[in-house]
Amino acid sequence: MRPRTPLLAARGTGRRFGKTAALDQVELEIWEGDALALVGPNGAGKSTLLSLLAGALEPSSGQVERRKGVRIGWAPQRPAQYGRLSARENLELFARLEGEPDPKDAAARLLAEFDLPGEPSPSANLSVGNRQRLNLAISLLGDPEVLLLDEPTAALDPEQRRRLWERAAALREAGGAFVFATQNLDEVERVADRVAALRDGRLVFAGLVGEYDRSQTDTLFA
Amino acid sequence: MLLRKDVLVLRRSPLLLGILLAYPLAIAALVGLVASYASSKPRVAFVDEDNLPPTVIVGGKRFHVDRTIRQVSENVKLVRLSPEAAQRQLSTGGVVAVVTVPPGFVASLQGMVRSPQLELQLSRGTLSSRVEQQVQALVYSLNRQLQRAYIENNLRYVTLILHGGDGSFLGRPIDVLGIERAEKLLAGMPDTPRNRRLRDFLHDARLALANTGDALRSTAHPIELVRVPLRGRTWVLSAEVQAYALGLTITFLALMLAAGSLAAERDENVIGRLARGLVGLGDLIWAKVALAAGVALVLGLAIAIAFGLIVEVGGVTGGEPWRRLPLLVVGLVLAGGALGALGALLGALAREARSASLVALLVVLPIVFLGLIPAEVVPPAAWVSDVLPFAHSVRFFSAALYDLSPWGSVLREGLWLVALGAVFGGLARVGARRLLV
Repeated sequence: MRPRTPLLAARGTGRRFGKTAALDQVELEIWEGDALALVGPNGAGKSTLLSLLAGALEPSSGQVERRKGVRIGWAPQRPAQYGRLSARENLELFARLEGEPDPKDAAARLLAEFDLPGEPSPSANLSVGNRQRLNLAISLLGDPEVLLLDEPTAALDPEQRRRLWERAAALREAGGAFVFATQNLDEVERVADRVAALRDGRLVFAGLVGEYDRSQTDTLFA
Repeated sequence: MLLRKDVLVLRRSPLLLGILLAYPLAIAALVGLVASYASSKPRVAFVDEDNLPPTVIVGGKRFHVDRTIRQVSENVKLVRLSPEAAQRQLSTGGVVAVVTVPPGFVASLQGMVRSPQLELQLSRGTLSSRVEQQVQALVYSLNRQLQRAYIENNLRYVTLILHGGDGSFLGRPIDVLGIERAEKLLAGMPDTPRNRRLRDFLHDARLALANTGDALRSTAHPIELVRVPLRGRTWVLSAEVQAYALGLTITFLALMLAAGSLAAERDENVIGRLARGLVGLGDLIWAKVALAAGVALVLGLAIAIAFGLIVEVGGVTGGEPWRRLPLLVVGLVLAGGALGALGALLGALAREARSASLVALLVVLPIVFLGLIPAEVVPPAAWVSDVLPFAHSVRFFSAALYDLSPWGSVLREGLWLVALGAVFGGLARVGARRLLV
């Protein structure tokens, strides 16, 4: 039987940056088993919506509802980590902050899973791809039930992409959900089961992938 | 956890860490040099254009010129030079001042009618006022030596007026009737009202002149300053310099470190990750305040210890009050915390680490200048300074290190620092929301 409340929901959510409205009156629900793709042109509000859902930003209007006790992982588009700390130190720090019972073990596990270097060199020295892997690895700390990924595969090689989507699929099968922003429509069809399309901060489409008319894409991304 | 991370990040910044390690040592060395200079004797040229004899007799008292100069030049090192050599050394910095005895000096001195003059030339520089004070002290000491001779000479004239007899004035022999002899002469005259008035006057004059000696001596020193020893603790320049050095160092470093490290959370794009329930913005501010307090403590103690060693080795008057260091620790933590809170506020407002560091630097300078202006000179500057941590920090440090009874000042300034830290910390917490945008 389906729970009465979604894992995560945007209720008339809006966000302004000064005089600019980045997001306006967005209604969206994320339930167990969802694989939701956020699509839209640059500046449509995808990153802002993910930040609001993650709790990194506060809405200017409306609200974001989270089911009580739900754990959320968030990988922003620009890697969010301390450049002076090594990959391991970043993982250990955020593992402690996320309340992992054994931060060192969690860090070691994710280092291996994402094939990240374990040496103590600063993460600022890592390649763009490795920094993005570290960004994704950090988002998996704390055993999240909902993953919010902002263009997660942009800097990943094909093998790492495959691993990421396998991990996301496993989360979904375990009763969790994931939401990802992307510009890659092939990825949408391959990975997602629902699509939410944004334009100029407004939600212009929300439905199943099969219902999403790819021919609209030209109009949407124009 | 965040504080540990900040310390780790600090350790990973070799340039910043190197500056943090070198800074206190450099400051301590500079302060030590200044303090050493404060207790050193500046070299002053002594030019004798009057060909001073080995001895000079003033008011019947014999002065050995060289011995007298040695006695009065406690604070300066007098070096006899020719006028040309003195001018050359003054221009090259070999001497900081030139004291010239002009022609006719001894004649004026022995004449005891007109004050002879010494000429003083000072080098151009920030230390000239101090040298001028020291030369003034030299002349003051010389005057004290001469005063007694002048008074004794003046008293001889008084005695002559009182008793009458032979004497000399400006080298000319004189014969004075004297009050006592005048009274005797008057006693043999008829007792008329006019003579009675003269007798009364002479009687009063004799009584008054009888006390002239004490009166002259007391007018020579209307107020005499006696320095009371303060159980081995003296207010030396080194104490003031050290308090300001600590205040300046901590103000610069704590403010810039807190401002830069808070803004860096946004630069690294980590603030959003932290703010989504992992760490409250208040905790983030608190971590920066703790970082600033910790750095202030370590650097401040390093300065105090290094400074103490330098002045001990240099034998500077007053030395370092080692037993007061625990009290200094409290001041360093409170000052570092208050300045860290102000720095965090600047970091929150500036939002970017580079801008934050620049803003902090621009803010530090007026804060320090305001703190250096005496309240008696520009009261509004003191009012503004009172709502900033620098002046309170300096007052705390100087009281903690050198006041005989520091508790009142330390408590008052400590409460100020806590209150300012709370206010700036609260404002920083509100301002930190800007970092999320």
